[in-house]
Amino acid sequence: MLLPRVVALATGLGLCSVAQAAPTQYPLTLQNCGSTQTFAHAPARAVTIGQAGTEMLFALGLGDKLVGTSLWFNDVLPQYQAQNAGIERLADNEPSFESVIGKRPELVAVELEWVVGPQGVVATREQFDELKIATYLMPSDCESKDNLVGADGTRLAPFRIDSIYQSITQLAQIFDVQERAQQLNAQLQASLAKSVATVQNKDLKDTSALVWFSSASLDIDPYVAGHKGIPDFMLNTLGVRNVVESDEEWPSVGWETIAKANPTFLVIARMDRRRFPADDYQKKLKFLRSDPVTRNMDAVKHNRIIVLDAMALQASVRMFEGLETLATALNSYDLAQ
Amino acid sequence: MTAMLLHTSGALVTLLIALIAGVAIGETHIDPTVVFQVLANKLWAAGYALDPIDEGIVWNYRLTRALVAAACGAGLATCGVILQSLLRNPLADPYLLGISAGASTGAVLVALLGLGAGAISMSVGAFAGAVVAFAVVVLLGRASGVPGATGQIILAGIAGSQLFNALTAFLITKSASSEQARGIMFWLLGNLSGVRWPSVWLAVPVALAGLAVCLWHRRALDAFTFGADSAASLGIAVRPVQLLLISCAALVTAVMVSIVGSIGFVGLVIPHAARLLLGTGHARLLPASALGGAVFLIAADVLSRTLIKGQVIPVGVVTALVGAPVFALILVGRRHAR
Repeated sequence: MLLPRVVALATGLGLCSVAQAAPTQYPLTLQNCGSTQTFAHAPARAVTIGQAGTEMLFALGLGDKLVGTSLWFNDVLPQYQAQNAGIERLADNEPSFESVIGKRPELVAVELEWVVGPQGVVATREQFDELKIATYLMPSDCESKDNLVGADGTRLAPFRIDSIYQSITQLAQIFDVQERAQQLNAQLQASLAKSVATVQNKDLKDTSALVWFSSASLDIDPYVAGHKGIPDFMLNTLGVRNVVESDEEWPSVGWETIAKANPTFLVIARMDRRRFPADDYQKKLKFLRSDPVTRNMDAVKHNRIIVLDAMALQASVRMFEGLETLATALNSYDLAQ
Repeated sequence: MTAMLLHTSGALVTLLIALIAGVAIGETHIDPTVVFQVLANKLWAAGYALDPIDEGIVWNYRLTRALVAAACGAGLATCGVILQSLLRNPLADPYLLGISAGASTGAVLVALLGLGAGAISMSVGAFAGAVVAFAVVVLLGRASGVPGATGQIILAGIAGSQLFNALTAFLITKSASSEQARGIMFWLLGNLSGVRWPSVWLAVPVALAGLAVCLWHRRALDAFTFGADSAASLGIAVRPVQLLLISCAALVTAVMVSIVGSIGFVGLVIPHAARLLLGTGHARLLPASALGGAVFLIAADVLSRTLIKGQVIPVGVVTALVGAPVFALILVGRRHAR
């Protein structure tokens, strides 16, 4: 069951990394999430909204082009800590429009459409167009996704891993560093293949999971990963079924439904954000082990609970690391129990 | 006397049926036999061997939810009766006195600004906010009012609500991301999903106490229906009784809001429905409204969990969606009966 999927992934990736080998010809015109963006030259100043884009630029060796960052979920990856310290953090959450344009960026790289998009809380793309500031929105958040339905948008088709490789390729193209994109994508593909190989000999038939991000209040219906989103892709890649059936990106589902579905294991998100008590993964663990219903779920009884960084559950370079953690943990479980 | 006994037992049976429906129907399917076995296990230690998850769902999720729904429905409907009678205004509802607006400000302060450094929950914040808002409204009403005039307190309530709603909006704009605001709005719109036994031990006694205080003053409430002057001429201490009953309504509402958020419609419409069916005597109106509110909110909660499979609709949406047509039928039906 896994093999065809791996082959499909591998071929998909192969195509997208070979296609853009030649140096960028400026002016470069890109179709990006329903908007046409033109670059007369490689941007010298970039602002990011969303940690995924920030770390993607670091990974492409473009940290020196960054003049401002915002919308953080976890600490920056350790290898970029020193470089990140020298870059102004415009806001922990979403920045104001003026703080972004005040940096006079030539590119604004955006992770999520609800921040910059048709109903963007920071601005619409047209507002940036008017100021001749180019925007790049991660295809992972606009492709086959309606961000106006449901709290965090609703997926019309399953998330495709190619959309991550595509954003790396396109960002590299904008900055004319295609070779680095090829290297990075090859690394990520190898990491993905490694995760798949880790669980290759494991019988994961009938294995299911729930991914719990947070809850507005500890006892109430939690926000969990939907049926077509990024965590769902991670589970499927390893041959695991998501117990949630909603197509919303992060629907709220009742504990009754979850307990009855009785997933084989649970994934809970770790984040630095502290807006709800359940943002703290320790509090999530405590709830799972003390609530009279959840403490009887198989996953909790057998302590099959995997803690992943919030950033590893989003379309980012860290998703691959998360996938490896997931595969290793899954491989260590005695599922005969 | 027999008629009263008959009515009381009829009311209790209706409530019991609603509670059982609330326990038996939920997001997932649990066999009715299992449901009754769980109840037998817990109430009479019957010792059936059951799946602990089923047992937990029925006893800790569904029963607590049904009981809190009943208490909230009863509490809000009682408060609606008091305020409509005291203020002689058919549009009065439990949230008129700035309570839900104050509760949202309190909850937002806790959730967004970390007031209390995690030691107090959003519920405590909501309760404190509701009480503060109510105090502001009462002081404003007093400062501006002629003794016994009811218009002033309504206007003060509107001003207070606007003020606290504006404060909430200000706080959200200033410090919350839209995602954060969504989390809070979800909570404020009324949500029964997080209730457990501690909420039951708070909501049920408060609802019963509120009802008892009002029943104690049923004759005063009857008198107030004809205005403060008639009440005074009947020898009722107008201002103390008014203040006591309004404070009682405010406290009950504040407790309910802090547990489940502001669920609309129940407090406004159930008292009217009861009045249309039973007349204005408070000795009957109060218990009937409480019962009606309890049964109505349990039913609305069951619907909110089952209308769309796998998804829970906010209970406030269901109360209005189902309640409005039902109320329209009662209105029209009464007109034809006359």
